[in-house]
Amino acid sequence: MNSHEYVRSILAARQDLCKGMSKNLPYPAEEEGGCGVTGFCCSIPVRGRHIFKPSAQMHNRGNGKGGGIAAMGFIPEMLGVDQTTLNEDYLIHIADLDGEGLKALEEKFIYPFMDVHLAENIPHVDDYRDIAGLEVRPPDIYRYFARVKPNVLKAFAAKKGLTKLAARDLEDEFIYQNSVNINKTFYDPQGKMKAFVMSHGRNFFVLKIVGYAEWVVQYYKLDNFKANIWIAHQRYPTKGRVWHPGGAHPFIGLNEALVHNGDFANYYSVAEYLKQRNIFPLFHTDTEVSALLFDLYSRVYGYSLEHLIEALAPTQEMDFDYLSKDRQRIYQEIQKTHIHASPDGPWFFIVARNDTKNNELQLLGITDTAMLRPQVFALQEGSIKIGLVCSEKQAIDATLDSLAAEDPRFGTVADMYWNARGGSHTDGGTFIFRLDNSKGNGEEKPMTCTDKFGREIKAPQNQVPFLPGRVFYLMDDGQKPMLDLTEEYAKGDADALYKMFIASIRDWDYAETLDCLKEIKRQAKESDGNLDLTLNVMTRLIDLRYPTFEKKRRSLLQMYNYSLNRILCAVPPLNSDQAQGKYRYIDFESRKTLRAPLPGEAVLVVDAASFPPEGDEADGVLLREAYRLGWKQFIIFRCRGQRFYGCGFGPNTQGVRMDVYGSSGDYIASGADGLEIYIHGNAQDQLGQIMKEGKLVIYGDVGQTFMYGAKGGDVYIMGNAAGRPLINAVGHPRVVINGTCLDFLAESFMAGDPLNGGGFVVVNGMTIDHQGNVIPQPSPYPGSNLFSLASGGAIYVRDPHRLLVEEQLNGGVYADMTEADWELILPYLQETERLFNISIDNHLLKVDGQRRTYDEVYRKVAAVKLAVLTGKAQKDGLEEYK
Amino acid sequence: MNAPTKAFDPSQVKEAPSRFRTALGKYRVSRSAKCIVCGLCVDVCPLGVNEKIGGRITSPRDYKCLGPKCPTACFKQCPVQAITVRTDPTFETMGDYRWTGDMLVSTYYMCETGRVPQNGLEYRTGASDGGFDKLRLIFPKDPGHVSPDEVDTSIELNRTGDGRPQIDIPFPVYGGGMSFGSVSIRAIVGRMKAATALNSFCCTGEGGYPDDLIPYDDHVITQVATGLFGVREETIQRVRIVEFKYAQGAKPGLGGHLLGDKVTPAVAKMREAVVGSALFSPFPFHSVYSVEDHKKHIDWIKATNSKALVSVKVSTPTDVDMVAVGSYFAGAHIIHLDGSYGGTGAAPDIAKKNIAMPIEYAVPMVHRFLVAEGIRDKITLIASGGIRTPHDLIKIVALGADGIVTGTADMVAMECVRCHNCESGRGCARGIATTDTGLVELMESDWVAQRLINMYQAWRAEVQRILAKMGLKSIRQLVGRTEFLAHLDYLPDHVDGEIEY
Repeated sequence: MNSHEYVRSILAARQDLCKGMSKNLPYPAEEEGGCGVTGFCCSIPVRGRHIFKPSAQMHNRGNGKGGGIAAMGFIPEMLGVDQTTLNEDYLIHIADLDGEGLKALEEKFIYPFMDVHLAENIPHVDDYRDIAGLEVRPPDIYRYFARVKPNVLKAFAAKKGLTKLAARDLEDEFIYQNSVNINKTFYDPQGKMKAFVMSHGRNFFVLKIVGYAEWVVQYYKLDNFKANIWIAHQRYPTKGRVWHPGGAHPFIGLNEALVHNGDFANYYSVAEYLKQRNIFPLFHTDTEVSALLFDLYSRVYGYSLEHLIEALAPTQEMDFDYLSKDRQRIYQEIQKTHIHASPDGPWFFIVARNDTKNNELQLLGITDTAMLRPQVFALQEGSIKIGLVCSEKQAIDATLDSLAAEDPRFGTVADMYWNARGGSHTDGGTFIFRLDNSKGNGEEKPMTCTDKFGREIKAPQNQVPFLPGRVFYLMDDGQKPMLDLTEEYAKGDADALYKMFIASIRDWDYAETLDCLKEIKRQAKESDGNLDLTLNVMTRLIDLRYPTFEKKRRSLLQMYNYSLNRILCAVPPLNSDQAQGKYRYIDFESRKTLRAPLPGEAVLVVDAASFPPEGDEADGVLLREAYRLGWKQFIIFRCRGQRFYGCGFGPNTQGVRMDVYGSSGDYIASGADGLEIYIHGNAQDQLGQIMKEGKLVIYGDVGQTFMYGAKGGDVYIMGNAAGRPLINAVGHPRVVINGTCLDFLAESFMAGDPLNGGGFVVVNGMTIDHQGNVIPQPSPYPGSNLFSLASGGAIYVRDPHRLLVEEQLNGGVYADMTEADWELILPYLQETERLFNISIDNHLLKVDGQRRTYDEVYRKVAAVKLAVLTGKAQKDGLEEYK
Repeated sequence: MNAPTKAFDPSQVKEAPSRFRTALGKYRVSRSAKCIVCGLCVDVCPLGVNEKIGGRITSPRDYKCLGPKCPTACFKQCPVQAITVRTDPTFETMGDYRWTGDMLVSTYYMCETGRVPQNGLEYRTGASDGGFDKLRLIFPKDPGHVSPDEVDTSIELNRTGDGRPQIDIPFPVYGGGMSFGSVSIRAIVGRMKAATALNSFCCTGEGGYPDDLIPYDDHVITQVATGLFGVREETIQRVRIVEFKYAQGAKPGLGGHLLGDKVTPAVAKMREAVVGSALFSPFPFHSVYSVEDHKKHIDWIKATNSKALVSVKVSTPTDVDMVAVGSYFAGAHIIHLDGSYGGTGAAPDIAKKNIAMPIEYAVPMVHRFLVAEGIRDKITLIASGGIRTPHDLIKIVALGADGIVTGTADMVAMECVRCHNCESGRGCARGIATTDTGLVELMESDWVAQRLINMYQAWRAEVQRILAKMGLKSIRQLVGRTEFLAHLDYLPDHVDGEIEY
């Protein structure tokens, strides 16, 4: 049968499923906005407890009224079945909502139709109240491993006109329809809710509760249960009273579980589209329709992953133009057919998918075309491989921390972290971690990572990760260090020490590196001067890029971070009587001891580890209070997503300096007026909102909507900015972005005349590879929208090959780069060179080995006055259509 | 500065007549050349329409006249039939169905005198044939005795019990956001002075926080809107309430828009933008695309100002009930619903009244949902968007709001005639919605303040009168009590009380 017949026959076969379904689509039963999503995919099965920490750290993205997990890729023995059963049987989870058991359901829908190879009520904690905070008893879950009886299948095919379907497709469809019937009978939104099907695919299951996601792990005793892929979702329903987890994520198609962060605007349109295909949503959330769409494209239309993603997140505008002709032709057809169902608005999906046809387990992260939700991907390669995708980088780091604590083959730092550019021709806004499932039985499964177009993403090759063994753990056992740095410390030359260190990387093995770090740690304790020197050197080792040869940068970073944390934890506490010197340590336990600095005390070292990320007890608030008491210098370390550093300090805070280590959180430096903040690593979202004055330096990438509505400030970004930086900025912000931005840079920028005190952004479009080489990115700015509707300020782009085109502008104009422009940005480039080792002469002005002049290399985008800005025309808002 | 202790003391009322030579009124009184200056008309008129100064009778203050139905009827008593009284032809061109000429003129009267008009002007409802204008109050037959003076009109703005300051306002009204740029600095300062005198609040709008407002910090609400214009950390820190403006009921989904004409050097400086270029506020907040972003946004304000209350201003989409509940759980103290009737001439006509839900639909929907969720008494529900009169206030509270925010009424108090040309900036004929340095001179902030004080004194007396007649001792007892309302299209057969037509 051809594919057209195939699609039609399945959709037609569902007609009688719709009987009794309301023809009017009800409103979504409850709204929800964002949420915290996290997922990882590992080449070996790992324990459920590792989804616990990232979930717990994203509490502030949920409200405890819905949490869920999905696990995929199991060790058969852990489920009490054999490998064949695991691979071939459907693993069905049914939630018993009223606690009366499923006898009636089983008699009607399970045993008459299926050969059940295993049935059990899955284990859980005896009393749900033992889990602190859990207020609603999670449902009992009945698990079945089952196949459809051949005679049932035959009758089904005959009755539904599906005789031409391949046996397995037919069985898939039977399972799907049977679950719809179960839900129709036992889950009536207007009446009694007795039970519903949580999942029914192969080699994966879903569990969800009214509570936080990590309680799922606790309640259903999954701490030690192993799977290759885990995803979790913290839900934020806005409705207050929720008594059962029907609305929680993940939602299912057949062989996929989908979690969603966002809220799209065209729920009705999507639901209507599904209805026309005899698919009726039952739980009335936009996540459910997303999962149904996914199943429709995947199983009914039989789309490849690439085409499936295109149907969900269509490629548009300039990105479409950049596609190959062949792709354009196919994509156009896909868009014509499915654009009505393409989710519109902010969304981000994480999907665990068992691609049974290709025997591949997959973890996908799919971003909406406007990149309105935060998302970070990460990849770690080594003796085992893991791919991660989360709402926040800190959740990734928490996962890695948790894994590394159990198995040293995992590192605490990933090889790569990146953002996807939604709906783009560059990566398609999607990344897929794929596990080859043909290698079964708990062995390691080969893992690859690709983007939407199938291009493989790889960590730097030919480098060996550190496998911590004895040496690492014996660092503190008092062995005599091999290295003595007393002389170097006596000279007090940080540059020399740093250079010595990086010059030695090639020759040292990991153990020698550890020895050196151990010696550094010993020296750091000797005096304030030594500690100054140590922090200087360690910070540079963490911040800067340099050749690491056959060693992995992530392994070195793991060591540096560990040593730095130990050094900082050893700083004398604020409440100690005998302490001398300028550094003082405070943590969550001792936060009440905060007091004004005594003479000689200068630097407050804040251990962020146990502080909540927001609220009156947060370390952001503690910093503010410390500043009121007279502290001006801060080191904050072991961050795990804490927000609002540098907020609330008030005007004119010149002279305040903050150094932030670890996984810092959102909104840092929002409202800053004078202070300096150095973020040693990647930064999160919404940094520098309404920033007025001061300096912000980020030794990595920065997240969404950075410097929204900013008025000023000097800002240096070593890496890339995600979507929508500097929107609505006014005044005189001056920003150097050494990487690029995903899109929408400086929309509605209004920062005056840059040559007369106004603001500007320099985009260098460079990247630094794992060996420390500064190289240009494929395009300095791949997005379709640059400087849209801007009325002031300017963008300076390093674009020696003139890759930027008119279509990327909406209101801006490419202008000549004058000497005045160059003199304006030169001091900022010099500071960039000083901060990041990105040289003006050797990197920025050098093109293909040749030194060029500034006007050959840089281009200016200036503002032009649009009619829409002068407002002469507008009266009823319809002018542009007339 | 000290918070005034005597808000709503009748002694605050001082005559604040029109600033124009010919005040607008309903009737025109003409005196012909036949007049013999006998002075009889001066003696018989209790309202001072006719006045004799020196040896002549001045041109009549006809805006005070009761019209042809006046019982003392100077025009009948005039021995030489020199006086004629008829409807003023200018009046016939004034107003629209929502803000009728009667309502404009009676608001002017309240602002001048501090009392509701007694001359038969319809000051209670408009003629829109829908919404508030179809609702009538029901006074119970036997309300029990309550004296208007003892009726409490105060409300609480922080009901969450979260440890942040408790703030009460003596009358459930505060001033909605009008930015520096959209209106003149004198209009803004005048409103702030009135808010201070009445111990209430007034919002900055999103055009920044001019230094002229600093004396009134305790009564200013800093607005953080999607353009973030003029929002700086100290403007968040110096106030007691911070308002997030997500949307405006008059133009949901459109964001603010200040046309190039109005972006004068002073406005551009305040907003640190470019002179003459239109200023768009995006929609929505680019940092907020979900409820958890929304919570983070509120957390940011709370981290910046640990004592401030947070108000969330939203328009009224069909899922506004969910938005309200979400805002509560995100930590807001006040949820401010802005319905579709409001908006100045600067809001595009195509958006006004066509996108958002009318406020009298949204408020009961949200109120009931909050009650069902068990959190109604934890949040303050404020309504705005076309609330014009004390009667509208009573109606919206009976529908479920705690209090209201005014915008257009304040403009009318400054003698706005609703000509709908606000966006043409420099040309506001009344010198209100302007940043033109010459036109700004048309008005003094003290006069603005006095007009507003008078208006709200009149409103409050009216509210107390109505509540007393309903037998209620506090406006808090009226919240959600729809049994005090009748809809003219759905009148029941029997009403246990009297409907006020």
